[in-house]
Amino acid sequence: MIIGRDLTRVYGMGAVKVRALDGVSVRIQKGEFVGIMGPSGSGKSTLLHMFGLLDRPTSGTILIDGVDVGSLDERSRTQFRLRRLGYVFQDYALVPELTAKENVYLPSMARGMTPRECTLACSEILTLVGLGNRIHHLPGEMSGGEQQRVAIARALVNRPTLLLADEPCANLDSQNSRIILDLFQRLNRDLHQTIVMVSHEEWHKKYFDRIISMKDGVIEKEERRSEDGEIAPTS
Amino acid sequence: MLEESKVAFFLAKRSIVRGNKGTLSLTILIIGMVFVNLIFLPSIITGVAVLFNQQSIDYSYGNLVIEPKKNQVYITRASELQRKLERIPGITGVSPRYLTSATVAYKGNVVNPVLYAINPRDEQGVLKIGTKVSSGSYLADGDTGQIVLGFRLAGNEDEKLDVVPSLGGVQVGRVVDVTFNNGVTRQYRVKGIVTSNSFSVDSNAFITKEEYEEVFGLEDLANQVLVRTIETGKENEMRNTLLSYGVQEKIWTWQEKSANFLNQIIGSFNIINFIGTAVSLVIAIVVIFIVIFINTVYRRKQIGILKAIGIDRSIIIKSYLFQALFIFAIGTLVGGVFLLLILQLLAANPIVFPGGPVAPVVDVVLIARSTMSLFLVSLIAGYVPAWITTREDILSAIRG
Repeated sequence: MIIGRDLTRVYGMGAVKVRALDGVSVRIQKGEFVGIMGPSGSGKSTLLHMFGLLDRPTSGTILIDGVDVGSLDERSRTQFRLRRLGYVFQDYALVPELTAKENVYLPSMARGMTPRECTLACSEILTLVGLGNRIHHLPGEMSGGEQQRVAIARALVNRPTLLLADEPCANLDSQNSRIILDLFQRLNRDLHQTIVMVSHEEWHKKYFDRIISMKDGVIEKEERRSEDGEIAPTS
Repeated sequence: MLEESKVAFFLAKRSIVRGNKGTLSLTILIIGMVFVNLIFLPSIITGVAVLFNQQSIDYSYGNLVIEPKKNQVYITRASELQRKLERIPGITGVSPRYLTSATVAYKGNVVNPVLYAINPRDEQGVLKIGTKVSSGSYLADGDTGQIVLGFRLAGNEDEKLDVVPSLGGVQVGRVVDVTFNNGVTRQYRVKGIVTSNSFSVDSNAFITKEEYEEVFGLEDLANQVLVRTIETGKENEMRNTLLSYGVQEKIWTWQEKSANFLNQIIGSFNIINFIGTAVSLVIAIVVIFIVIFINTVYRRKQIGILKAIGIDRSIIIKSYLFQALFIFAIGTLVGGVFLLLILQLLAANPIVFPGGPVAPVVDVVLIARSTMSLFLVSLIAGYVPAWITTREDILSAIRG
C-alpha cells in the first residue's frame, strides 16, 4: 500500500551536497508496524518526512494507496495529510492553548465533521489512548507521556491510512516509552493500523513487525520479527 | 470556506481566551486610543466649523446678503426693498445697513474699525449682536450721538491685554471722536459695549442708520440688506425665491460671503487632521502588525505542526485575521467608551475658541469612516505577517 521507488533526497546547494536518501526503495503493507532504525544522519527521518508529505524527494516516486503523492499540489497534499495520514512528533507538538480534547478535535473539525461527530470521535479516541479522564486539561498540565498520547489520539482521530511516528519516545522515560509503544502495538493489532515509526532504541525492535535499518541514506538491512519474537533478516 | 472559517475561528478564540492577557489588553488599549484620535480631532474641527458657520449667520450676515447691483455703491429705495422682502414667506427679518470705514479716537488712541450703520430694531430681527451687550445698552431706533463698540475695539487700559489696536479701555458713557471718510468728525457717547465672540463684531463699531444718513446727507439707501430666513440650509432656494419676487440686486448666501475665511480655517485644520489621522493609522497598523508578527514568529513551530497535521495555510492565516479583527472590534468599543467619557467631560468643560465654546460634532459618517479605516488597517496588519510566516515550508518551521 505504500511504495517508495528509488527515492533520493539531496540537500544543499552548490558544491557541498548531502545525499540524505540515496536511491531507497521500500514497500509497506497494510496493517504492518514498521520500525525505521539507524544512527543519526542515516536518512530515517528524511524517509518518514517523504511518507508524511512533509518534504518532496529530489527524485523517485511515492505511491500511497495507489496515489502518486508527488503529483499533488500543496493544497491537495495538505488535504491528503489531513484525511489519510496521522503524524506523531518527537516533542508532542500540541497546541498549548487547546485542551487535550480540543487538540484532538481540531483535525476532525478541519475535515468538516459536525461538532457532535467530532466530540464522539474525540471521546472514543482519548478513551482508547487511556486519557478519558484528562480531556479538559491543557498540555502544560499533563506529563510528557500523557501529551504524547494526546498527540497519538490527534493523529488517529481521522482514521488515517498510515500513522507515522518520528521518534515518539525520544523525550520520554522508559516507563512512558513502554506505555506509548504498547499503545502503538495495540492499535496495530486491534485496529490493523499501519504504523511506520522511526527509532534508534534497540529495545523498541521487539514491538515492530519489520525493521528497516538505514545507514548513509541507504537501506542497510531489513529484519522481520516472527510470531515468537525472534528477529531475523528478511530473505 | 465556511468550514475553514469555523476552524480558524476556533483557533483564534482559544488563542485569545488562553493567550497572553497582558499583551492583548495593551494592544486593545492602543487601538482604542487610535480610535479616539481618529474621531476626536475631526469632531473638534467640525465643531469649529459649526461654530463659525453659526457665528457668520448670527453676527455677520444672516442667511442672505443683498448688495448693490454691479457698478453701484448703494441699494436705492432700501425701505421699499425691505418691505418687499418682508412679505416673502420664509423670511423672518430684514435689515438694511451701511458699512464704512471710519477713524475713532479716544485719549490719543486712534483706530480704524469698520463702522456699521443700522436700524437697531431691524438689525435685531436678523442678527444677535443686540443680545451680547456686556456693558451699557444697545442702540435704539432714533438714537443720535451714540455709538456701540465691540469689546476688542474698546480695549483695555493695559494695552498688553489687547489683541487688536484699541481705544485703550474706553468705557460706557465716555465720548469718542469719529471721523467719517467724507472728512466730517463728530463726537459720540459710548452707549454700550458688545462682547459677542465674533471677531468682526467685537473689533468694530455701530451707530444708527439715521445718524449715518444725516452725516452723509443720504436718504433711504443701503450698502447691504441682511435677510434672515426661517430655515438655515436652504439659502440657494431662498435666493431663487427672491429672484422670482423681482429682487434685482446681487444676492449672496452666508456661505459665499464667509467662504474664504472659513475655507482658510478649515483647510488648515484639515491638514492637521490629515497628518493626525495618518499617524494614528500608521500606529494602528504597526502595533497590530508587530503583535501578530511576534505572535506568528513565536509560534512558527506550531504553525509548521498545524500544517503538518493537515490544517490548511488559509485556515491559519484566517485565525490570525480573526485575532486582528477581535483586537479591532474590542479596541473600537473601548475607544468608543473613552470617547463618550471625553465628550461628557467637554460638555461640562467646553473648549473655548476665540469664537466661543466649541462642541465636538461626532456624526455617523465620521464614526463609520474611522471604524472602516481602522477595520481595513487591522485586516492588512493581521493578514500580512500571518501570510509571511505561514509561507515557510513545514520542515523549516518545525525545526525552528
